[in-house]
Parts: sequence; structure tokens; C-alpha cells
Amino acid sequence: MTSPRNGTSTGWGFLAPYGVAVVLLIALPAALNIGYAFTDHTGLTRDPQFVGLDNVRRLTEDTFFLDSVAASLFHVTLSVPLRLLAAVGLGLLLAAPRPGGRWYRTAVYLPTVIPDVALAVLFLWVLNPLYGPLNQLLGLFGHSGFNWLADPVTARVGVVLMLLFPIGEGFVVVLAARRMLDGRLYEAAALEGCGPLGRLRRITLPLLAPVLVLLAVRDTVLTLQVNFVPAYILTDGRPANATLYLPVYIFDQAFEFSGFAYAALISIVLMAITAAIIAAQMLTVRRWRVMR
Amino acid sequence: MRREHAPALPGGIRLQALTKTYGRVSAVDGVDLEVAVGEFVTVVGPSGSGKSTLLRLIAGLEAPDVGGVWIDGLDMSRVPPHRRSVALVFQDYALYPHLTVVENILFGLRVRRVPRAEARRQAGEAAEQLGLADVLDRYPDQLSGGQRQRVALARALVRAPSAYLLDEPLAGLDAQLRLSTRADLLALHRDLGATTVHVTHDQAEAMTLGDRVVIMAGGRIRQAGPPQEVYDRPADTFVAGFLGSPPMNIVPGGGVLGGGAATRVGVRPEDLRVDDDGPIETTLEAVESLGNETILVTRCADGTRLVARAAPRLGLAAGDPVRLCPDPERIHLFDANSGRRV
Repeated sequence: MTSPRNGTSTGWGFLAPYGVAVVLLIALPAALNIGYAFTDHTGLTRDPQFVGLDNVRRLTEDTFFLDSVAASLFHVTLSVPLRLLAAVGLGLLLAAPRPGGRWYRTAVYLPTVIPDVALAVLFLWVLNPLYGPLNQLLGLFGHSGFNWLADPVTARVGVVLMLLFPIGEGFVVVLAARRMLDGRLYEAAALEGCGPLGRLRRITLPLLAPVLVLLAVRDTVLTLQVNFVPAYILTDGRPANATLYLPVYIFDQAFEFSGFAYAALISIVLMAITAAIIAAQMLTVRRWRVMR
Repeated sequence: MRREHAPALPGGIRLQALTKTYGRVSAVDGVDLEVAVGEFVTVVGPSGSGKSTLLRLIAGLEAPDVGGVWIDGLDMSRVPPHRRSVALVFQDYALYPHLTVVENILFGLRVRRVPRAEARRQAGEAAEQLGLADVLDRYPDQLSGGQRQRVALARALVRAPSAYLLDEPLAGLDAQLRLSTRADLLALHRDLGATTVHVTHDQAEAMTLGDRVVIMAGGRIRQAGPPQEVYDRPADTFVAGFLGSPPMNIVPGGGVLGGGAATRVGVRPEDLRVDDDGPIETTLEAVESLGNETILVTRCADGTRLVARAAPRLGLAAGDPVRLCPDPERIHLFDANSGRRV
């Protein structure tokens, strides 16, 4: 048997590859990023110079940046609740065993394994104002349809629509969590005369609350970042900066305009916005006593 | 469904030809049973005997394939569980883990939209009655097994049902607590005077609690009657072997206990007396001393094993010859083929 001391060092040994990777690939670049934010680093030269708060001053006067923040906030406000609603709704609907259930569950998960680029190209067709199926569907209800990607609001909605499909991970988590709930609780509720909606409100959602909070936080982090690909393929930040989400603007600054230091600063802002939204979510959770 | 013989019962529970199958498995098979108003009936049987399914059929959580359930004289076949005026206490209590004790008790009252003040009063009364007043704000996982069981009972109590259905409510408790809770349960029943069907696999629980004991096996009722009667006059070899610990000795007829060739003969261990002049010659295989009594496991010359219950401190040891004498008044005869009492 190994001594406790040996056991501890073995533990650290197993942890080491992960620790080294975290330091080299996350902690160090993050520290460098903070440092670069206060330089004139272009990403092309080797000797960035310290410029103090110049980049911060530029940020406060940058209307593109304000557009970018607005686009990101619009997206996260609409996308997170809708993605969560879809994942939870479909998860709860398909959790119970039913004929053909596995096919429906596969269908819900499938868009998640499709590469973002492929899904975006698919949505170029879906949102096409002339022959896209979405406008044709609206036509069935007598609506003339939208010029989806040419109008600022519909372009943003189009990106949200596209990102409503890859919800497989949240869906699977809800599915698993729902299946772990004790069926007797539902029988006890049925004996009390609690209907399906009552059971959802009084049992399922409160018991799933920890999972839902986790999904909301995770989706907030994800949603603020994954809109990069659809925005790049569908609209390239247009029209009128409506889809110039923060990741897009960071990419443009860093790699197209050689503003590496400025991009570094915006990425810090993106992190701060993410943290602020999550903090607000956690405060809401505490205030509403969503969890025990 | 055959319901043309709707009985005119003033109250209580009546089950008629109740049948429920799952695939090829017959969980409940043609059960007829009447539980009078205020009666405490215990249903006992081994695992898979259909006793829990029977309870679920009465509660309405399962629909019978054939037969019907009448509660308070009303046909409940098409009545949903919450309109049946029964309260079911689940084996694992099924308390809502995200709600406190008082919220658990209030749950049903809130669903039924009982005015807040009235609901609080009823919940308070139930909690007081079951000694839960100090733990009202605790969550189920902060309670002991006994407290959880009482919360489940309190939740049933506030429904003020016509009948209580208890599905092994003592199974999750340790032996000592089970004993005291058994007494509490009886006291509660005496207070309420409510019709109660109590399912258990513990024969001691069934015998001590029930006004009447129903023994089930294979989805059928094997015997129903007052505890002592069922014990003294078992209807068949299954009941004879199931009730009593150690179980009744049942040997083929014409053997050491006499009887005809077409019979099987049974005698309970306490009805086999150690007697130097006894007619049955045996050798002691094992002596199990329980402190207040001794269980003697003996073997006859023909290989028949007989278990006898004797006084403590007999000074016997394995290998000793022992003569046994059965009480002739307490010999049971069963048909060798059907196993039914002759």
C-alpha cells in the first residue's frame, strides 16, 4: 500500500497534465491579454509599447463598439430564454417513453452535431427571401415574408432562429434530469388532484431548478460567443452593424485591422458583460428562491 | 367490465373480481374483498404477490382490466384518483424534497384551493396530532425515517379521506422504531376510526395491526379473516407456511405425524412438546436459543425435519436424542394435491 504522502504526490501527478495545459493555454494567455490591452500591440510587431489608458479612451468613443454591445445584448436576451425554453420543453416532452421516442430525441439532437458553418450555409437558404422555406411558410398564413438578412431586426432574429436548433446538450441534460425524478411524487400529486400544468409548476420545474440554472449560466457564456460563425457566414456583421456581435468585432479588430491590443481590451469587456449577466441571474435565483 | 352486480354498501371498500395483468403477468387475479367502515385490514404476502397493485387499484393509480372498486357504495371505476376520497401513504413516503414539512402537508390543500387560513389550520392540527410541530420548517432530507413517515401520514390526514391506504409504511424504519410506530398507528386508527387497508410483507405487523388479515399470493387472496383465526385454521399449506415463525411443520401424510396418504399433515412448532414419553423419536440437529425460548431443529429417522418451540435453558445440545409429542387438538390436515385444508 502507498503511504498517504505517496498517494498525494500520485494525485498531483495525475493532475499535472491538466494543470500545465490550464496554465499554458488559459491562464497565461489571459494574463497576457490583460497586459496587451494597455499597449499598442498590433499582432504583427514584436515590441508592443505601453500606452496607458489610450485604448480605454478609444473604446468610450467607439460607436462600432456600442453597436456591438447592443447586438450582443439583444442576442443574449432573446436567445438564452428561447434556447432554454426549447431544450426544457422538448426534454420534458420526450422524456416519457413513447412509441418512436428515440427517433424524436435523435432528431432534436442532430443539429448539434452539424458543424456551425454547415448549419449557417443551410440557414442562408432557409432565410432566403425569394425561395427560402421560412418565407414560404409565412406565405401559407398570408404573410408576405421578410427580407431576413437585409433588415437589422430580422437579421438578428435570423441568427437567433439558427441558434435555436443546436440545443442538443441542454436537451440531453434536461432529459436525464427529468428521468431521475421519482415517479411516486407525480402519483402523490395525482392523488391530490394536481393536473399536468400543476405538476409541471409545483414539482418538475422546482426540482429541475438547479439544472435549469446551470443551463442558463452555461448558455449565457456560450451564446455570447457562438454567434460568431452565423454572423460571419450569414451577414458578416451587417446590416448596419446589427449582427456585429462582440466576438465578430474582436475578430475584426485583432485580425483584420491589426488592432490586437484593442481587441484584447474588448475581450475583457466581453468577459465582464458575461460575468455581470451571470451575477444578475444568480441574484434573481436567490431572490426568487428558485433553489433551496 | 362486469359491473351489473353493483352492491349497495353503505360505506367502506368493496372489490369485486378485481383483475390486473401486466403483459403475461397476472398481478391481481379476481380479487373479491369487502372492508367495512372503520375496519383495519392488513394485506400480507410475499414480494410480487400483488398486494401493492391491489392498493394502487383501489387508489385509482391503476385501472383494472376486469372488476370494479366501490368506495362508500359508489362505483369508482371511472373516477380519477383525487375524487376517490382515499389517501395513499407510499412505502418510501413520496415527500416532495423541495418543500418543507408544512409545505408538504399543505400541498394537497393548495391544489384544492382551500383558503389559506383554513389550510394552515388543518395542516397545523395534523402536524400537532403527529408530533411534527417542531419540524414544520425542515426539509424531508433533514428528518429521521420516523418523522418522514409521520409527514406522509399528516399529508394523508389533511385529506380527511373515507379510507386510508398504507403501502408498507413501516418498511423503511428500524426494528425498534417499527414497534413503537406500529402502536402509534393503531392509536391513530382508534382516534380516527377510519377504514384502513394496510399492505405489508411483515406477518407480525399484519397480525398485530389488523382487525382482519388478508393473505395474498400470486395475485389471489388465499385467506382472509381475524388474525387468530387465520393463524389457527390456515386455509391451505401456503398460508400455514407463510404465517408463523418458524413456520408450521408440514409433512406428507402417513409419516411421523400420521394422517392418510392423500393428505399432508401440519403442526406448529409451539404445538410440538418435548416429552420423554412422546411418540416421535428425533435427533437434535440444532438448538437456537432466543433467550425467552429455544427453537429445536430435529431430524426423524425417516429424514423428516421437525422444528419445535420449547422453553429456554433445556440443557440440550445438537446430537442429543429428543422425543416430541404433538398436541392432537392442533394437528392440521391438508389435501395432498390441492393443499387446501381438509
